[in-house]
Amino acid sequence: MKKLKKFNKYIPYIVLGLLLIWHSVLYAQEQRFPRPEFEGDYTFPTHQFLNQRGPMWEYMDVAVLIGALTVASWLALKKRSRQGLIWVSLFSLAYFGFYRQGCICAVGSVQNMSLALFNESYAMPLPALLFFTIPLLFALLSGRVFCAGVCPLGAIQELTGFRKVRVPKNLERVLAMIPFVYLGLAVLFAATESQFLICRYDPFVGIFRIDAPYTMIIFGALLLLVGIFVNRPYCRYLCPYGVLQNIFSRFSVKHLTITPAECRNCRLCESGCPYDAILQSDPVKDREIAEKKWKGSLPYLLMIPVLAAAFAVLLYNLAPALSGVNDNVKLAREIRLEKEQGIKAVSKASVAYYESGRTESELFEQEQQIIGRFRKGAPWAGIFLGLSLGIGFFRLTVRDIRTDYEPDRGRCYSCGKCFKFCPVKINN
Amino acid sequence: MMNFSEKEIRIFNRISLVAGIFTVVIAITMLFSLLQLMTINPLDTPALQSVKAQFDNNPDSKELAEQVRAVDLMSRKAYFSSRWQVETGSYLLLAGAVIFVLFQRLVAGSGKPARSLQPDRPDIASEKTRNRKYLIISAAAVTVLAIVSSFVLRSGLPAPGRASVGDERTGQKLAESASVELSDVNYPFFRGEGSRGIAGGEGYPTEWNGPEGKNIKWKTRIPKMGKNSPVIWGEKLFLTGAGDGKLEIYCLDKNTGEILWTSSGTDFPGASPEEPESDPEAGMAVPTAAVTENAVCAIFGNGNLVCYDHDGKLKWGKNLGVPENIYGFTSSILIYKKVVLVQYDGQNKFSISGYDLETGDLKWETPRSGRLVNSSPVLAIFDGEPQVLINGNPNVTSYDPVSGKELWSLPGVSGDIAPSVGVNSKMVFTGVDYYSVVALKPGKNGSVIWSDNTFTPEVASPVANDECLFVATGYGDVACYNTETGDTLWSHYFKESFYASPIICDNKVWLLDRLGTMHIVDANSKLNIISSSPLGEHTDCTPAFSEKQIFIRGRENLYCISAN
Repeated sequence: MKKLKKFNKYIPYIVLGLLLIWHSVLYAQEQRFPRPEFEGDYTFPTHQFLNQRGPMWEYMDVAVLIGALTVASWLALKKRSRQGLIWVSLFSLAYFGFYRQGCICAVGSVQNMSLALFNESYAMPLPALLFFTIPLLFALLSGRVFCAGVCPLGAIQELTGFRKVRVPKNLERVLAMIPFVYLGLAVLFAATESQFLICRYDPFVGIFRIDAPYTMIIFGALLLLVGIFVNRPYCRYLCPYGVLQNIFSRFSVKHLTITPAECRNCRLCESGCPYDAILQSDPVKDREIAEKKWKGSLPYLLMIPVLAAAFAVLLYNLAPALSGVNDNVKLAREIRLEKEQGIKAVSKASVAYYESGRTESELFEQEQQIIGRFRKGAPWAGIFLGLSLGIGFFRLTVRDIRTDYEPDRGRCYSCGKCFKFCPVKINN
Repeated sequence: MMNFSEKEIRIFNRISLVAGIFTVVIAITMLFSLLQLMTINPLDTPALQSVKAQFDNNPDSKELAEQVRAVDLMSRKAYFSSRWQVETGSYLLLAGAVIFVLFQRLVAGSGKPARSLQPDRPDIASEKTRNRKYLIISAAAVTVLAIVSSFVLRSGLPAPGRASVGDERTGQKLAESASVELSDVNYPFFRGEGSRGIAGGEGYPTEWNGPEGKNIKWKTRIPKMGKNSPVIWGEKLFLTGAGDGKLEIYCLDKNTGEILWTSSGTDFPGASPEEPESDPEAGMAVPTAAVTENAVCAIFGNGNLVCYDHDGKLKWGKNLGVPENIYGFTSSILIYKKVVLVQYDGQNKFSISGYDLETGDLKWETPRSGRLVNSSPVLAIFDGEPQVLINGNPNVTSYDPVSGKELWSLPGVSGDIAPSVGVNSKMVFTGVDYYSVVALKPGKNGSVIWSDNTFTPEVASPVANDECLFVATGYGDVACYNTETGDTLWSHYFKESFYASPIICDNKVWLLDRLGTMHIVDANSKLNIISSSPLGEHTDCTPAFSEKQIFIRGRENLYCISAN
């Protein structure tokens, strides 16, 4: 019986395996022959679209989100149960991942938000708005509990990451900048109505859905394999929503702690976090330095606007190149190339364009308009990047003195992996 | 925490390793399959192309047809098998990954948490110094990048509308090339010399009235019905007609309208007496005859091709096979350097072929691809190279009129294609209803320059000079497009539909509607309606121009319009 109880630990993983197998069976049943292209006068039957989910179900998703966030907060902050968080992860993976097929998703809602902010014609659906804001509100209240077990992308990585390979600190710092760039570009592309970059390159949606491109399935599977050793690679080095969670969590009212009581500075938890999100306490000798020497770092504050301005100029200059992600710009360039170099139209977009009867002047005018929008938006994305990088570096030049080991509120995923490393226990 | 024996952990490790290797192998295999799928089009395989080419050369062979079907099926099966493999592989990949993950988890969970100490936190002073250095380096690096990018990343994008500039260069070069020479006496083919819709001469009458006889020099009843247009050589005018099981060629004196002789389109050995099913409105005499100095050739709806001299003596005749075409056989013929050029469009065969003008022997035949059309070939010269253009479906294709070799093929239009192409000195224009008008830069490196679907022709062929393209539609609108940019320069609703092709002559566009009213407008970018003259008889035939006289074939009569 005792042995069976110990085996409980593995039940979530068995359930995960069953979920994947069940999903594969569903996939096999859904496999279809692609639509043939008849050359005769055969008329295709009209498409039958499934009815959209009713609004009630969308609000049900919101209710599930709030419920899962509440439970995750309770488990991380109050109950301090790593096993409980694993169960929440499994539930979220099953519900938001496999059942809802990765949509609606807080990570992708960043794009809806930016599209709504910069385009008057787009009305953001309320559920999408709630999915964007609620996890951020919870981050303000209790840290990144969304990442801990509610986000399906985080959950699938959390459940598969159990070896621990430390990434060198300097490399970690460089890689950790990527999500900022990704967020800046994703917002820019969505605001210019060019592309929903985050959804397009969501690595796990290929596993959640049964009809995703194979490349996405391969990317997702390989990322999971990497994640066994370098845990949560997507969350750490790509997730754009994680950037917002990181910022909001720094100001959280409450946050998960490594120790349930007073830290003994035993250093046992130092290696407990695979994400390197535990902040070491300062040696006693350093604690005696009372002054934080802010004054010495003040001149470096000037570097922040310099970085912001430089990034703004850089992205402004890159705007025409970046606008190439827009389908209309891409098409206009293709058509121009065809004309100037006499290359025959081959792409489907180009053939469709010729069939549509649109004039070139319309297309080229639209291209210029889109580039203009990129020119307007790119400097703002640059300012965001410059400020993020500048503030990040400046923060490191004015280090706080710490007396305890504590989680880095920005980078900690509130996953509770560190709990077992702390020898301090509370007697009930 | 579950504890496993060392032996168990070793087994788990091995299973995990095998699953890992399996996953990697599957991933690599899938990547190769993906690359294959992305680069291979099942319908472009050399084997399929080869049997298709054999079938095109021998379209009656049932064995080859069966072979094409078999290879086609095999190619599709192979393609979809690859797809199935990739799709299944992706889930094998996942299964391998799951096993790998689970056993790694068992191995990882069997031990106690590894507790290792981190090196001491670096001292405050050195950490601060290092981070300040990073801050300055990053600011400097990004600033340098920003400055460099300001110089390097200049936008190479042209302003809107530059697209047409690129063609001016090509256009100029092409404009220098010789176009087909125009005569003000001879009007040898459908739509005139080269079948381009451009007639020579000047001083043609712009006003007449058929019912009142104003400027009608003569009017002759043509014995049998025909939708073909008159062709002229010297003083003689030729037409064809069909009815009551007879196919006829008429030679008229162009000055008096007298029928000089009538010859038969069936009076030769091997002639087909058959009248294939076709649109009754069209009949068997839709294709216009072609005439040269000493011969007149005509083709009829049953594939009978005949050639007479100017005195009505049969030179030769042959049947090309009865074309199966729901709208009837309609393609007019051309003569180029003693070769009769025939565009053959039937369900049984698509081709363009050249027959010796003197003997009728087949000199060459080139199979065509695509779907059957009802257009006619056009003779043009680009870059000094004579070429026959066919408004095919879906491509406009150019052939060497001497050897029949395909010179180039560019995307054109799709649908029920009746109009032929229009050409000017540097471009080719095609169009059809429910599709669009498309302008092409001809040649092997040619391309689509522009397209527009606002005004599209139903039957009438477009006609162009270097500045303007004129399109007469089946719903009564006439539009003038800028040939370079595709912008609509003007349009006008003339109320009646147009089947006769417009002709540019004497700097005017001659637009004959189905009621028989000729609308004459200036052949330039400003709409100026010069006149509208009624014939008093319905007509679908394209007019002919010769020596200040206009010849119009109505449903029953042929009219000569002259100011004298």
